[in-house]
Amino acid sequence: MKIEERQSTHIYRQKRMFTKEELEAREGLCVHEQPPYCNAACPLKLDVKAMAAAVAAGDFDRALALYEKITPFPHILALGCEAPCEKNCKLRELGEGIAIRELERSALAYGSKPRGGSLLRKKQQNAAVFGADLFSLFLAGELVKKRYPMSFYCAQGDCLSLVKDCAPGLPEEAAEATARLLSELDIDFKWGCEPEAAYWEEREKYALIAAAWDTARQLYPGLETDEAVMVCREHGLITGSTGGVLDSAFGAKRAALSADRIAQHLDPGNTRGEEGCVATRLYTSLEGVEPSGRIPVTDRDSAEREAGRCIQCHCDECIKGCAYLQHYKKFPRILTREIYNNVSIIMGDHMMNKPINACALCGQCSVLCPNGYDMGEVCHIARQNMVSTGKMPLAPHEFALMDMLFSNGEAFLSRKQPGYDKCRYVFFPGCQATAIAPATVREAYRDLCRRLDGGVALMLGCCGAIGDWAGRYELYGETVDFLSEKLEELGSPEIIAGCPSCKKQLLSQGCEKIRGIWEILEELGLPETAEFRQRPMALHDACGARGDAQTQESIRRIAAKLGCQIQDTAYSGDQAPCCGYGGLTQYTNREVAREMTDKCLGRSRLPYLSYCMACRDRFAREGRESVHLLELVYGSAAQQCPDISAKRYNRLGLKQQLLKELWGEEVKAVDLGFEVEYTPEAEERMDDRMILKSDVIQVLQHLRESGEAVLEEDTGLFVTRERLGNVTFWVKYSETERGYLVHSAYSHRMKVVNRL
Amino acid sequence: MADKNYYTIDPEGRLTCMKCRCKLQKGKAKFMYLDNGFPVELPVCPQCGFVYVPEELALGKVLSVEKALEDK
Repeated sequence: MKIEERQSTHIYRQKRMFTKEELEAREGLCVHEQPPYCNAACPLKLDVKAMAAAVAAGDFDRALALYEKITPFPHILALGCEAPCEKNCKLRELGEGIAIRELERSALAYGSKPRGGSLLRKKQQNAAVFGADLFSLFLAGELVKKRYPMSFYCAQGDCLSLVKDCAPGLPEEAAEATARLLSELDIDFKWGCEPEAAYWEEREKYALIAAAWDTARQLYPGLETDEAVMVCREHGLITGSTGGVLDSAFGAKRAALSADRIAQHLDPGNTRGEEGCVATRLYTSLEGVEPSGRIPVTDRDSAEREAGRCIQCHCDECIKGCAYLQHYKKFPRILTREIYNNVSIIMGDHMMNKPINACALCGQCSVLCPNGYDMGEVCHIARQNMVSTGKMPLAPHEFALMDMLFSNGEAFLSRKQPGYDKCRYVFFPGCQATAIAPATVREAYRDLCRRLDGGVALMLGCCGAIGDWAGRYELYGETVDFLSEKLEELGSPEIIAGCPSCKKQLLSQGCEKIRGIWEILEELGLPETAEFRQRPMALHDACGARGDAQTQESIRRIAAKLGCQIQDTAYSGDQAPCCGYGGLTQYTNREVAREMTDKCLGRSRLPYLSYCMACRDRFAREGRESVHLLELVYGSAAQQCPDISAKRYNRLGLKQQLLKELWGEEVKAVDLGFEVEYTPEAEERMDDRMILKSDVIQVLQHLRESGEAVLEEDTGLFVTRERLGNVTFWVKYSETERGYLVHSAYSHRMKVVNRL
Repeated sequence: MADKNYYTIDPEGRLTCMKCRCKLQKGKAKFMYLDNGFPVELPVCPQCGFVYVPEELALGKVLSVEKALEDK
């Protein structure tokens, strides 16, 4: 198995991640941008949510501006609207919904609008409205907003009487305010005329003609209108029957749009877009929201408090649970689109490579999202796509991939239990357990051999998850074939997985006979090594066990038998977040991985119990008391935060120890001919820079062969280097009696060559 | 045409090649990565041609250029 670096940055190959339909179908699952329930219910499309936010913030001017956007006569609407928005307020599910009309009124009472008229040029075509009713009044206002030169023919003598006749019952103050607004509009009023007579005399003067409903019926008895567009096509008259304030206002909006279409010599039904109320697919959780009652709005302060009850309905279920989405501050739909574009660009910077490689691929979002949006799947497909087109850099994943090759190479072991020609089981502890808790794995294997009938083989290696997570599908395929061949050699026994991620991965590879060690332990009962001790603990479910209720329940039962008093935490079970190891985040983006770990640990102050060794290790690294279930079962502690070299050494050491103890095979230690020591600073730097002790040793071996080194006079240290694979490693050392003391090590991927 | 150099380090006699027992001098070198080349001037052994890349350079400029190229 080989891992190859991408050849060049000048690769113009490109492959689409999804078809357009698939992309849209995926994006369509995300309801983050769906309108809130109140907005969706308003045919006039008032942005209720934004208005409530403005009032809550005391910004009544903005609230008024938002409200005036939907109607030319806000006083009439605010007092007479039937308010379907209020009926759809999400808070009504708990207590009383927001008094939205009160907020509208408060915007009118305390907000002021900026001075200045419209900057739009007046339109060429002129318009006239004949006759007065609420619809025609609203329509006149809408047409003025659209900058049509406007004439209004009515029997009334002034603005106030016109308003009062159109909106009977309007309080005096509101009527006066509306009349004031009306008088300020650029309308040529033809007061005191007979609208029907005026129509016959004057209609030829106008390009657009509208009429109040009663006037229209008198002009053309029995006329028929298309209510959807408020037009009588037969007579070219904009009119229609409306009832109620909101219906009149909405009718006027539809009619005004029809006027635009007619002015453009189009059919009024042409390209109208989405009108009126809309259906919303928004999901909003009311978790943590207390039921509350309306606050009577009497002044600015009470209006702000009532608006403050608004929960600003939105869906961010996935973001709330995921440190990765929180880090990039993007919701799945937009993230998917940006990733899709990133994969599609041929030249230039691929700005989304980091987010693509930072996702833990854990699938938590798919559980939290009401529609099952799986961001991990999108990132995984993107990784595979980039690998296939040669655009995926190797650097972020190389260390992990090399680790997998090490696990399935030098450190790999596949043996039948001594004394058995055929084994019923094979124990597969996983690469992280052998790296972090080799003693625990040893105890577990010995216990299984002792108590299970039929023989238990052992397979130390990696399930291939690393190659799969990195999107290296060819390498993953080779790993699957390799494991399958090795399992066949053992007689295809039932696999006892030590890690839920391995179990999941091996299941996906077609291994049918597989159980977790926890299920076996439940059957056999706990071994003598298990110590019962009452201790309160927080259980962290492994992301590999998502959707595996059997595993989750089994772990809880064993934990209870061990005396663990499990505290319920948020996001447990199927909703569990990843510890930061999954998807190789730990290697590709340490910052995001740390945020993921913090997110896990933020759920409880108690010591953490986990059943994935990677989780156990990451929690311990953050300073939290952390224990793996098998440590308690076998009374054998894992190592405290082994560094990257120790993790490899542990795997190799376990293999050699078991070979010697169980199969009587002694592995001869390789004599290098020199000793290497490290300063504590060097060890720390090497762990941070992902440089293994085995890398350093290879560089020093090269030094001994070539004699190539440089003396730094400033520090008195020697520096040597060697290119190993895709990386040049540099070692700073001093000589000791028996070999070398390493003071520092660093590396770079660039090749450096002489030039003439 | 004058040579373009992205980076220059003069060892100023403070580095010695242990193989050739001579001082490293400012010399022409080139960083190569993913089919891209960057001419630089680094401490080079005049005899064996050993090119020295200091720690600060490897972890600073070189790393940032590597990362930028990886996202191309």
